[in-house]
Amino acid sequence: MTNSATITRRQFIVGASAAGIGLSLGVLPRGASAAAGPDEVNAWVRIATDDTVTIRIARSEMGQGTLTGLAQLVAEELECDWNRVTWEFPTPGQNLARERVWKDFSTGGSNGLRGSQQYVREGGAAARIMLIGAAAEAWGVSASECSARDSVITHGPSGRTTTFGKVAVAAARQPVPQNVTLKDPSTWHTAGKPKMRLDTQDKLTGKLVYGADLRFDGMLLASIMDCPVKGGKLVSFDADAIKDMPGVKKVLAVKTSVGTGLGTDGVAVVADTWWRAHSALKALPIEWDFGPNANFSDADVTRLLESGLDADEAFRGNWAGDMDAAFASAEQMVESVYKCPSQSHAPMEPMNATALVTADKCEVWCPTQNGESALAAAAEASGLPIEKCDVHKTLLGGGFGRRGAPDYVHQVVAIAKAFPGTPIKLQWSREEDQKHGFYHPTTMAKLRGSLDADGKLTGLHMRISGQSILAALIPQALVNGADLATFQGVVKPGLSPSMDQHQISYDFPNLLVDHAMRNPPIRPGFWRGVNVNQNAIYLESFMDELAHAAGRDPLEFRLAHMEKNPKGAAVLKAVAERSGWGSEDGKARGLATMYAFGSYVAACAEVRVVDGKLKIDRIVAATDCGTAVNPQQIQAQVEGSFVYGLSAMLYGEITYKDGQVQQDNFHTYPSMRIAEMPLVEAIVMPSGGFFGGVGEPTIAVAAPAVLNALFAATGKRIRSIPLKDADLTA
Amino acid sequence: MSPETPSGQIAPRSAVKRRQVLKGLAGGVAIFAWPTPGLALPEDATRAIQALFGDRPLQEGRVVVELPKLSENGYSVAMAIDVDSPMTENDHVSRIAVFAEENPLPDVVRFELGPRAGRASIKTRIRLGASQRIRAVAQMNDGSLWTSYAFTVVTLAACVVQG
Repeated sequence: MTNSATITRRQFIVGASAAGIGLSLGVLPRGASAAAGPDEVNAWVRIATDDTVTIRIARSEMGQGTLTGLAQLVAEELECDWNRVTWEFPTPGQNLARERVWKDFSTGGSNGLRGSQQYVREGGAAARIMLIGAAAEAWGVSASECSARDSVITHGPSGRTTTFGKVAVAAARQPVPQNVTLKDPSTWHTAGKPKMRLDTQDKLTGKLVYGADLRFDGMLLASIMDCPVKGGKLVSFDADAIKDMPGVKKVLAVKTSVGTGLGTDGVAVVADTWWRAHSALKALPIEWDFGPNANFSDADVTRLLESGLDADEAFRGNWAGDMDAAFASAEQMVESVYKCPSQSHAPMEPMNATALVTADKCEVWCPTQNGESALAAAAEASGLPIEKCDVHKTLLGGGFGRRGAPDYVHQVVAIAKAFPGTPIKLQWSREEDQKHGFYHPTTMAKLRGSLDADGKLTGLHMRISGQSILAALIPQALVNGADLATFQGVVKPGLSPSMDQHQISYDFPNLLVDHAMRNPPIRPGFWRGVNVNQNAIYLESFMDELAHAAGRDPLEFRLAHMEKNPKGAAVLKAVAERSGWGSEDGKARGLATMYAFGSYVAACAEVRVVDGKLKIDRIVAATDCGTAVNPQQIQAQVEGSFVYGLSAMLYGEITYKDGQVQQDNFHTYPSMRIAEMPLVEAIVMPSGGFFGGVGEPTIAVAAPAVLNALFAATGKRIRSIPLKDADLTA
Repeated sequence: MSPETPSGQIAPRSAVKRRQVLKGLAGGVAIFAWPTPGLALPEDATRAIQALFGDRPLQEGRVVVELPKLSENGYSVAMAIDVDSPMTENDHVSRIAVFAEENPLPDVVRFELGPRAGRASIKTRIRLGASQRIRAVAQMNDGSLWTSYAFTVVTLAACVVQG
């Protein structure tokens, strides 16, 4: 299954440790104390005598570049030589043992940098002060006369110098500074610059290890199959029927619980190779009770969602003025209904985890977006005290929100408990991954807008009907029954502190945005961009419809409601200008804008329809994330977000028949191909003063910009995605 | 022992000074609290405790609250409470109430006990909306109130919940 060479566990640990990269197994002495090593200046920084600086990264790396950005922030304050920087992951067990010195491990919500920039910079600054303090003490001079740059400490008056590596051990004994002053980003020389990623070379050489690559001596492999219908149950299986198949060791029932009854109830086969385990699993006679959702199909989803479009009861997420009065005095009303389907994360690397459970210890190696959540799952599943458990993070072959849920950790630990002392790797098949995901929630929306005689928008009602992620997974986060997250991107400012990062871009005089919660028996999850994605399609498509109904230019029509949002207006104007918006060149263009995950973004798409087929030629996308920690990485993230966002718009759809997901692999759930990919021009325009997210916001503007351009090209308004089945002939 | 239905009201939360709220509360001895400077008891939790026990002083001690240090998503968190009591006719725990300071409904669960319970020991699962302190208040048959708390980190799927 992989081409990685078999290595012993000890070799693996030693190798990873000696290289100072990759899995940080053995980085710190393991055990309850997780004591600091001799070269540790503080929790964030280790400095070896050869001046190699190892920066500790708590968040996960899944290609988004957070690892490099966080290291840049620490290095900036540390004033170390960037060319001597390497990195390692502390384990969540070490974090727990050290009173959560590295704080949050969760990596989602475009929060990796913005959620930790303050304390990682403080960590770097504190280490610098301690290093300088140690040098000054050794020299018998005042620390205030010393400075550091590129890992060299200089005593100004005498010109004497030393290096970080020479004073690191003494620095660790210096008093820990309590209040550190951080540098102004305008003076940055390492952060804020397009530094090369710290992990690229090791990825190219195959040195870095993904979960699917892991092999340990004596390891057994498991394949798993969940009940094909969510809400169904495993009744029985005939293990005798496959016991003589080659390599088969055991057949086990494995059950996990997730949120409100959307867990798994399935069977795993353990064998000496994965293919043997999987082949035996496919041959295993299993009796399922499909339960109440046995006849569930797409028609049920549509019926359920449609029932909410005009329902009397709905949760409010944004309101202003008097929408009804505006509608009553309208010169013209515009009304449209939109729909977005369930969508799969479809990461390149299907879910997997490896566990070793003994009587008094549980260790897990896995790709995860939240090491601490994986650790909690390992402790719960093993039944051992959490101090006896740990999780070693690998890189992720795609996360997109899927790997925030540690269901596969529960599963592998449950299996490994049956094999004390033997490492077990659970590898989901691609089909299992595709059919048992945590899908992007499906919703519909009905929008109504009133225009006055001058073509000005006087009132807007946006009714969202559909699925709530929180109701299924974290019902305790509902507020009086409402899932405020369903309003991401259109939410009222000040409605909830955690939602202000997604507030509506426009100032409408009369407005109502509300949500009729309709939850089909589909397991929803956090999918890159989360609820901003569909809300952007709904609002930004409808703004385009209103502008055309009013006979106004869609750019001007939007800007008229953005006077109080100058940063949002600035990104919109930036894409309009770069793309040639308004020029008489015959090109069909479409706009979209959003404020999401704390950043202002906009996109302008340029499309053609040739023989009924959509050709997206060009996307110009602007991001104001306040502070750019690595402009090159932001550009790469923005470009990548269009691969993901446009794939979702073109092909992303999970459908149901007889209670079962119909898409089981990339041939039925495709991503866009290289030939379909437009040129993406990313404008990174940080305006300073804040840190906004980057990984997700531009996903949301991908689809509406293209849909609006498609209207400009053909006069056809597409109100439902994916486009794969849409008739685009003009 | 039967849990009563919790009641409560959602109100905007504004932290008040801890000493204003819990007069007589001796310096907090956490089972495993991480240092949290400026710790204050949210208004809702205060109101819920006062609604049940009035203004009587809470004494720190005799109660042990156990929670996992990390909870995967707060949906179903194992909790154990033990109160040091002989559980005799003359000296027993009559009531244990649990308050989740950061939950929208802080009044999580109440247990009524008597000497025939044998032990003042409870295990159950509760739902938590955020990383927070869980406080248990035990009322003895002489009316005295004893309390302690534990802290748990809810690791949550964070794409939307985090600020």
